[in-house]
Amino acid sequence: MSIPIHKYDVVIVGAGLAGCAAAREAAAAGLSVCVLTKLHPLRSHSGAAQGGINAAFSDEDSTELHEFDTVKGSDYLGDQDAIRLMCEGAPETIRWAEKMGAVFSRSEDGKIAQRPFGGQSSPRACYAKDRTGLTLLHTIFEQADRDGVEFKDEYYVADIIYKDGKVNGVFAYNLVDNEPMIFNAKAVMFATGGYGRAFRINSNAHANTGDALSIVARHGLPLEDMEFVQFHPTGIAGSGVLISEAARGEGGKLFNSKGERFMEKYAPNKLELASRDVVSRAITQEILEGRGCGENKDHVHIDLTHLGADLINSKLPELRDLAITFLGQDMIEEPISIAATAHYSMGGIPCDMDGHVRLDTKNFVDGFYAAGECACVSVHGANRLGANSVLEALFFGRHVGQSIVADLKANKIDFKEANPSDVKAVMDRLEAIKTGNGDERIPELRNELQDGMTENAGVFRTEKSLLVQRENLKDLKARFQNVRIDDKSKIYNTDLQEAVELSHMIDFSAFIVEGAILRKESRGAHYREEYQTRDDENFLKHTMTYMDKDGNLSTEYMDVVLGNHELAERTY
Amino acid sequence: MSNETKKLTVKAFRFNKDTDYLPYYDTFEMEVSKDELILDVMNRIKWEHDGSFSYRRSCRHGICGSCAVKVNGKATLACKDRAFDLVDIFGEELIIDPQDKRRAYKDMVIDKADFWKKYDSVQPYLVADIDENPTEENLVSIEENEKIDEADLCIQCGACYYSCPAVQVNPNFTGPAALVKAWRFNADVRDNAHDERLETLQELGSGMWDCVKCFECAEACPKEINPIDKITKLHQQTFEKGLARNNVAVRHAVGFKWSIQKHGILDEGELVRYSEGNIGVMKHIPEAIAMFKKGKIVMPWNMPKSKNLEEIQKLVEITSTAKFGRR
Repeated sequence: MSIPIHKYDVVIVGAGLAGCAAAREAAAAGLSVCVLTKLHPLRSHSGAAQGGINAAFSDEDSTELHEFDTVKGSDYLGDQDAIRLMCEGAPETIRWAEKMGAVFSRSEDGKIAQRPFGGQSSPRACYAKDRTGLTLLHTIFEQADRDGVEFKDEYYVADIIYKDGKVNGVFAYNLVDNEPMIFNAKAVMFATGGYGRAFRINSNAHANTGDALSIVARHGLPLEDMEFVQFHPTGIAGSGVLISEAARGEGGKLFNSKGERFMEKYAPNKLELASRDVVSRAITQEILEGRGCGENKDHVHIDLTHLGADLINSKLPELRDLAITFLGQDMIEEPISIAATAHYSMGGIPCDMDGHVRLDTKNFVDGFYAAGECACVSVHGANRLGANSVLEALFFGRHVGQSIVADLKANKIDFKEANPSDVKAVMDRLEAIKTGNGDERIPELRNELQDGMTENAGVFRTEKSLLVQRENLKDLKARFQNVRIDDKSKIYNTDLQEAVELSHMIDFSAFIVEGAILRKESRGAHYREEYQTRDDENFLKHTMTYMDKDGNLSTEYMDVVLGNHELAERTY
Repeated sequence: MSNETKKLTVKAFRFNKDTDYLPYYDTFEMEVSKDELILDVMNRIKWEHDGSFSYRRSCRHGICGSCAVKVNGKATLACKDRAFDLVDIFGEELIIDPQDKRRAYKDMVIDKADFWKKYDSVQPYLVADIDENPTEENLVSIEENEKIDEADLCIQCGACYYSCPAVQVNPNFTGPAALVKAWRFNADVRDNAHDERLETLQELGSGMWDCVKCFECAEACPKEINPIDKITKLHQQTFEKGLARNNVAVRHAVGFKWSIQKHGILDEGELVRYSEGNIGVMKHIPEAIAMFKKGKIVMPWNMPKSKNLEEIQKLVEITSTAKFGRR
């Protein structure tokens, strides 16, 4: 078997903010860098971030406050050393992006403007109208491109080459013609984003199928805190497409079908600007108790009409456009219909503050790094604050890029030659899917997965619902062995891609459910009806789950790094 | 959210460059609801009818730029246009085509190498020394920021580029998307390569002068960025900075202004003579005779003047930012 082998110092998978920022830093330091993405870099989901990116800039604000809000927002599950590193680095990170060209909105004095966001004690979300991610993604990509990063777009990475505790590269195929190849490198970084597509109602792009998580897990490496999936309060009813938190930040009010401003009941101080998990539960509770709006009583209203046309057009133009497209509702004229939507994954590939991927609770994998939504550092703990995800992607993307440079310059990582035999297993798996002649079809299996995850592992969870979902997943995994795809061709085979992505979603979903079954408490985004309070005595710890060759899961726990911010009840 | 549906006939362009000699169309009869987008229609073709149907898509809410196609010839971002809105224009038969059929790999998926090559040609990044550890941001006033004029909202979907008739006849023309990108940086006070970018765009054929001002790009843009307006701004910036070269495109712009200044109305014959020179104009003699017969052009001594000439001249004087001498 002959297969081309391309050699680089660094190979990065994923070209969103984290991947581009890391690549830019590595290339600027003189390393040869290749970024592989299954999209074009500018199609990455970082570009969909709307509302803002946090930094404690203003005189009334401080890094300590940003830290405190993040720790509290995480329901104390975030590691405080990592949170401090990120919050301290935030002002420089954002100014660095500005220096590279990001088109932030400006205040009267010409500085970067900031707006209020949920769970924040001060307005600290820097923004570019309601398309902050778009300008950041384009800017960081542009500068990475300027510095000579080699981008390979529309390459699907299907596996890592992992031997003797070290990652030596990745296996990928070109989506255009299905040609397989090996990318052999000293250091490999995963920056592949989130996994919201496992849920029926979600705000995510079609691409957000969490491929990296399952690729890692299939090698027996752990995934961390997977049970913590953020449901964003304001998804467009029906489709789940996001209406940014900026809508609440700018003053949007939530109403149920009785015209009650129900947040007065759930978060009397912060109201709509309580943390996302709190607002999502409130909305879902209102709907479950029959106070939802519309024919099916399946959504509530957010009212922005009092903000006026000028403010909406200048600060929320994209949101207005989205509501018109998806709902036929103009937010200048009338309230719009929203409900909670699966949005963000707090958990992921466990790594330390410098992006080194964990082998277990104590040891690390050589030559393997992760950053951004696919990683779990953990800065978000059990619940992420709005405008902290773009910050995490950009800050840790850059920081991990620098960490790779430091490790390579210190000769800490050797180059190990990859061989075609290293990728035989994954090539066989792909071939089996392509040639499979069973009677299961991808769209049906995917619908079942997504429906089950939303029903049974969504905003409210019970032991019963989770056990049902665990069985569903086992069943789906077995049935996947019997799939047949229509497309047998080599050219741009999206049928094959959707199949591989589905197999990834089935695998990592089992980690979400397993973590949720074992965590008998309610913390942040994870809410168990039988255990409605936080249990620090038993569960102030990170879940680390492993999968063996037969798909059986085992879990151990890892300590949370505490710090200055002492445990307290979390109220808004 | 409504249950209203329509029965549509959807014809989809099919082609696989590996196995098909010629493209063909597949027809699907579908019951489509009011809230379904063209992307939903394409998903249903793939998921309910034929898994080999191929198209690019990702964000599904109009920000990643993946899913641009053409519906009944109209540039469409599939996740932004509702099927019903297109039915209102075209009736109940919708024909979905790739952006450029000649470049199809497979179904809606085309080779966009030409598009990205143009993108690369305009130095598509801020040219500045980057402070790696800044403690302050650049100060940019709200007014300065607004000069970028939404050019930073471009999502590189290619809808304008693959609708541009000038690109169709001259594949070297930079085209609207890349020119919007050029304006995004040339309107940015933080960028140090304004002149350099304009210089590369001065080349005839490949640069920015082949725009025929037809407004197709403005029509096609799903983000309402109005590319032609940005192209015009690049032209104006060229004159403001005194970087215009003496070539047929620039003389066309200059001659246009002079004609208006002199007569208040356009002297088409003189404009062509001025733009192309005394010898170049000869090749247009057959058209000139035809135009003369129809009264579209007149002999120089018969050129009429606008009744409001004085007012027009004042307007030209006030609005002109161009720096070039009297002929």
